[in-house]
Formats: sequence, structure tokens, C-alpha cells
Amino acid sequence: MITLKNIIKTFDGNTVLKDISTVFEQGKTNLIIGRSGSGKTVLLKSTLGLFEVDGGEIWYNDRNFTQMNEKERKLLRREVGMVFQGGALFDSISVEDNVRFPLEMFTEMSSAEKQKRVDFCLDHVNIEKHAFKLSPSEISGGMQKRVAIARAIALNPKYLFCDEPNSGLDPETATVIDKLIQNLTKEFEMTTIINTHDMNSVIEIGESVLFISQGEKEWEGTKHEILNSGNQKLEDFIFANKLYAQMKKGQ
Amino acid sequence: MGFFFHIGRYFSMLKRVFARPEKHKLYFRQLFHEIDNLGVNSVGIVIIISIFIGGIMTIQFAYSMANPIYPSELVGLGTRDTLLLEFSSTMLALIMAGKVGSNITSEIGTMRVTEQIDSLEIMGVNSASFLILPKIIAVVFIFPFLYIISVFFGLLGGLVTGPIAGVITIPEYIEGIQWLFYPYYITFSIIKSLFFGFLVASVPAYFGYYVQGGALEVGKASTKAVVNTNILILFFDLILTRLLLT
Repeated sequence: MITLKNIIKTFDGNTVLKDISTVFEQGKTNLIIGRSGSGKTVLLKSTLGLFEVDGGEIWYNDRNFTQMNEKERKLLRREVGMVFQGGALFDSISVEDNVRFPLEMFTEMSSAEKQKRVDFCLDHVNIEKHAFKLSPSEISGGMQKRVAIARAIALNPKYLFCDEPNSGLDPETATVIDKLIQNLTKEFEMTTIINTHDMNSVIEIGESVLFISQGEKEWEGTKHEILNSGNQKLEDFIFANKLYAQMKKGQ
Repeated sequence: MGFFFHIGRYFSMLKRVFARPEKHKLYFRQLFHEIDNLGVNSVGIVIIISIFIGGIMTIQFAYSMANPIYPSELVGLGTRDTLLLEFSSTMLALIMAGKVGSNITSEIGTMRVTEQIDSLEIMGVNSASFLILPKIIAVVFIFPFLYIISVFFGLLGGLVTGPIAGVITIPEYIEGIQWLFYPYYITFSIIKSLFFGFLVASVPAYFGYYVQGGALEVGKASTKAVVNTNILILFFDLILTRLLLT
């Protein structure tokens, strides 16, 4: 579980996150949604400590992240997996070496154990054997995302962060990625936070949804409540897509 | 942003670069990769440039000393001392700043804009140390060897070109390059090349590591890195020459 308490973040005097408090629950896919520029990525990166917050507290279970020194944060980050928007795979090494990298860096496993773990992770995200030796540039965008997920789960993380994991993917592949993340969350009992502005993802896997607008928390709930939120900004966001307006009419 | 901001951030980056590595085995692997990528791959261009410059200098020295009162050995001596003192250390560093420096900035800069560096940080890896330290050690290690290779092939260039151009005979040239030889010149230049190696790796790494934006900014950062590295090389050349040679 990750708890945010009154998070404030400013850049050059411009307040990007305004007093955001929420709880991201373990074993659930927690979605942060909002328009482009609403502060979703800043919130995600602040939670990870890539941006230092100007106010508030971040708790990873019972550990206060904001009070930790750099060494403690580095240790905690070994419990964190992250899937970046563009995959952020290391393009100088192969697919399987990308997944092996955190194992080589942080474990004392034997070569055989590492290979077994690499195979397990890549198999879990449905990457076929023939792609293991390819470089990231030789595989499709959807596969890159899946390899990024495999790398993120290599160290058995307690917390999984995904920044727009299905951006740039076709709807079918996007659904596959969403389901994959949800299944892994359940299987490994992770606290998963997904940053997205894709309403399909919300409807598919939005067990807990946080809507932010202009850096403020506007609404919080589940995918079942979202169509009848009563929040004007959220409705403007959702019903910009006519399909969801029709869904609401038909309930 | 001010000059002092960059100085401060450069040294704070170096502090992170020289922090204790997470896993020595991976760093060593990176180091050998960088020695191959940044050093061994530069040997060819160093040889080509040195042969041509050695030949050109021999012809120019012969031209400017075409006077019977100057001993013919001066041509070999001039070529040798120019190579030993300045070309094979300073000029080579300026050339390497273009080749190796821009490579380092674009590689690290691309990793920054594609979030690969963030990815390392999230894993708990000291990205500055993991990416930059092997490059600095590799370049500092390889520069003295490149210096020696450059001197050798520069002298060889003069030996081949001088007689072909008809400006000096082989015995005169060989006698000239042995005449009034001070071994300290080599020590002096190797000390310089160690400094320059550090600058050629660390300054472009700084510009790449802190780049913000996209591909365009990476390109601009590469240009800035090469220009700033060149200025710093010349500045330190002046200081080291003053300190060590006069």
C-alpha cells in the first residue's frame, strides 16, 4: 500500500500538484487519470522520488519515503518496478539481457538461476523464445512494453508503477497489456499504480481510480462509479468520447 | 544559467560518479566495453591523422628552414618536438573531443531523453556512476597509448613524406629526430594526456547527463560539449605547460 498525504509540488513557483492525498491499495490496479498536462506524470514521478516534493508525505506501507535518505531510498527502490511510457529498454543489449540486468545488479543468483528467472518473466508476458536474443529496436512497440513489464517484475517487486503503458498501441494490444498488468498485480500481490488517459483502461482494469485536474484531486472511486460520478470535470473528460456518453445513456 | 551553476553541478555529478559501485563485476564489463568502443575504435583515425600531420609538418619545417645556415637535422627535430609536445597530446585531444566526446554526449543524452537513466535510478542504480565512471576510466587509460601511437605514426609520416617530397633524406631525418632529445617531453605530454582524457570523457558526459527535451536538444548538447571541452583542453594546456615546462 502507498499513501500520499497532502502532496505539493512546484516548478519555478508554478504549483503543479496541489495538496493531493490518496491511498493506493495492495493487490489492486490503481489508476491515475486526467488530461494531458494535469500532473499525472509529476505525481507518479514524485511518488517514486524522481521529483522531490515540496510538501506532504509519501508512505510505502509503514515507511515514510519523504524522510528517507538517499541510501534508504535506493534500498526501497529495489522493491519497485517501473514501466515507462516508451518502454525505456536499454537499446545496447538484447531483450533477455534487459530482463537479466536487475538480477545481475542486485542478486547473487547463479547464471542458471538468472536464466531461469529471465525465462519465467518473459514467458509470463508472452514473449516467444525467438525474440529473447533480439535487440529492443527489432521488436514491436507492444512487445517492447511487455519486455519492460518483464524487466519490472524481475526482482519480484512489491510496487509496480506504469506510466501510460498502452500509449501508442492499437486497442487490442492495449487491452492485452492492461490485462497482463492486472493479472500480474493479482498474482504477485503488488501495489500497482497506472498513469493513463485511456478510458478503455479505466473500464477494463480501473479497480481504484483517481482523477486529477490542473494538479488537484477532483474525484476518487471505482470503474463502476465513474460514469455516475456527478463531477463535472470528470464527466467532461470521460464524455469527450461519445462512446462513453452512449454507454451512460444505456447504463 | 550561470557559469557557476554548471561548475557546481559538474562537481556534484563527479561526486556521484566516484561513489562506490554497486557491483564491481558489471562495472568491469562496462569498462572493457568502453575501452573497446571509445579507445580501440579510435586507433585507426589517430593513425591516419598522425601520418598526414607528421608528413605535412616535415615538409613545412623543411620549407621554413630552407637556409644553408640551419642544420638539416632541425627538420626532424622540429617535427619530433611538435609531435611530442603539442600535436600528439593537445591536438589529438581536440580531435578526440569531437569523436569520442560527441559520442559520449549523444549516447548518455539519448538515454536521458528516452528515460533509460530514470529507469536505472528507479532500479536503485547510481546511473551517474554506472554510465560515466567506466567511460572516464576507459578514456583516461587509453589516451597515453593513443599519444604514443600518434607520436610513432607522426614520425613515420615524416620519414615517408620527407624523402618522397625531396625535402630531406632519410639519414638526415633519422638523425634529426634523435637530436637534442629530452625524455621529459614524453612524461610531460603523458601527464597532459591524462588530464585531457579526463576532460574528454567527463565534460561531454555532463552535457549528456543533464540534457532535457528530445533529439534536437541532444544534438545541441553534443555541439556544446565539444566546444566546451575544446576550450577547457586549451585552458588546461596553457596551465600545465606553464606549471610543468617553464
